[in-house]
Amino acid sequence: MIRPIKAIVVRNLIKLARDKMRLFFTLFMSAMFLFIFSFVTKSMVTGLQNPMSYLISGIIIMTVFQTSLNNSMNILEDISTGFMKEILVAPIKRWQIAIGQVLSSALIAVFQGLIIVIAGLFMGLSLDFIHAVLMIIIMCIVGLTFSSLGLLLASITKESTKFQLLISIIAIPLTFLSGAYIPVMAIPGILSWIVYLNPLTYTTALFRYVTLHMDTLSNETLVKTGVAFNINGFIITPFLGALLVIFMGIVFFVWCVKRFSNADFTRVKIFKHRHR
Amino acid sequence: MSDNIIEVKNFTKKFGEFTAVDNISFNVEQGTIFAFLGPNGAGKSTTINTLCTIQDKTLGELRINGNDVTKQKDKVRNEIGIVFQETTLDGKLTVEENLKLHCDFYHVPHNDVMGRIDFVLELVDIENWRKAPVDSLSGGMKRRVEIARGLVHFPKVLFLDEPTTGLDPQTRANVWDYIQRLQKEKNITIFLTTHYMEEAEICNKVAIIDHGRIVAHDTPHNLKKKYTNTTVKIKTSHRNGLIEYLGKYSIRYIQEAELVVIFATKVEDILEIISLFKEIIEDIEINNGTLNDVFLAITGKEIRA
Repeated sequence: MIRPIKAIVVRNLIKLARDKMRLFFTLFMSAMFLFIFSFVTKSMVTGLQNPMSYLISGIIIMTVFQTSLNNSMNILEDISTGFMKEILVAPIKRWQIAIGQVLSSALIAVFQGLIIVIAGLFMGLSLDFIHAVLMIIIMCIVGLTFSSLGLLLASITKESTKFQLLISIIAIPLTFLSGAYIPVMAIPGILSWIVYLNPLTYTTALFRYVTLHMDTLSNETLVKTGVAFNINGFIITPFLGALLVIFMGIVFFVWCVKRFSNADFTRVKIFKHRHR
Repeated sequence: MSDNIIEVKNFTKKFGEFTAVDNISFNVEQGTIFAFLGPNGAGKSTTINTLCTIQDKTLGELRINGNDVTKQKDKVRNEIGIVFQETTLDGKLTVEENLKLHCDFYHVPHNDVMGRIDFVLELVDIENWRKAPVDSLSGGMKRRVEIARGLVHFPKVLFLDEPTTGLDPQTRANVWDYIQRLQKEKNITIFLTTHYMEEAEICNKVAIIDHGRIVAHDTPHNLKKKYTNTTVKIKTSHRNGLIEYLGKYSIRYIQEAELVVIFATKVEDILEIISLFKEIIEDIEINNGTLNDVFLAITGKEIRA
């Protein structure tokens, strides 16, 4: 039961470790966001005690989100290199493959998030043990939720070009309408319903709530800083937000396992790597 | 029928309107080499994919070692090894890592893993490359790694889909050595597809498939005996006596420049002719029928490679 899942996870981790370019680029992208946005948004975020930490925590969660969404690319690579066939004819269940895939993708994403956390510590982010543990738990939830979404999209598209297109169509609005880079208060009212449906909104908020030690603040202040949300008088606290995200994560996960189990990968166009 | 390890009855596979495999039936005996011979697009890979459980059938019954390939997928998967037409190794991993991963998927007992990897790598002569990334290997070596991988869980049946396509003649010969060694040493049943006639000659049984139908199924020897003639080309300047003799016993022949080409069905006829006319024979060439001739005789065309 566990052995094939573990094998898939280990394999994906080995592959990441060998793929220096991929490792470099994901870190590079996060670092770029970290520096560029720290200059641009400093002026935009007002009324916060610690705008830098506010921003860094957004970037950490974005890194986890982006990486976990993109990680399902390797499933599509496996299809195009033919390796998927080896997995599909093995006496293992599709759901085992799906779980292995989601786990490894989330693990890699959390790992990359942690690197930004470490960078953040040098840029004014302060953490104690309990908050660090809470942070990692939130990162895992985000990683699992969006790795599931990624695998779902991968098993729908089955092709890397379509997948990447779909990812950017989905990721860009989710990213910018989540409050991670642009504060929720600055987003015009017409778009606010996307903000409230976006699981990233709540994860970003929750993450900030934890990293910025906001547990002592009143709901009113939380709404003002964009960490809790007031939807027509109904307050979504960070805790309620967490439940929402976990719920969406479970939906994505069940859906992606189902979709992956029923996907027919044999009729997908693959490059014929003939033996030469 | 306990000694038939593969049983296929009335198997049909359709892709939409297109019928890739049309109502075929055949059995493969335990411990033999069975070849599916046919041009590209004849339905060979479709049959292999269905037997290997990665494609569902449209109709019919397919069993491996008594297990139904659609209803008992995992049982079937445990008992078969597959080498696909295209590479299905993970190029970024080393030879050893690929094999270990395979052992994890096939639940090879932990204590046996290393021993088995040693064994199969030795079988295909690739022990020295076990730490090499697969991407760094040549096509022939990759093929050997795949054969090794297909064997590491000790399957009862090994499927080889075009195992030698794209390989140079020497590597092809080596791959064939491994295949024959396997069959002899491990008593594994080997099911392979090919469009090389020479390769089909070595197999115990050959099924010729064209446009989704099996058009002939027998041993290579019987197929040739049934569908082809031995041609004897005799060069002589005194052909009249020879032609008269051939006419008398109604043996088919044609005249080709200074040659007389005789189509003989029986060995005795040939020996008789040679002993009678040895004085006037200036040169002689005897050709046995090939599977290519069989294919030509049955389908009326050359095999499209």
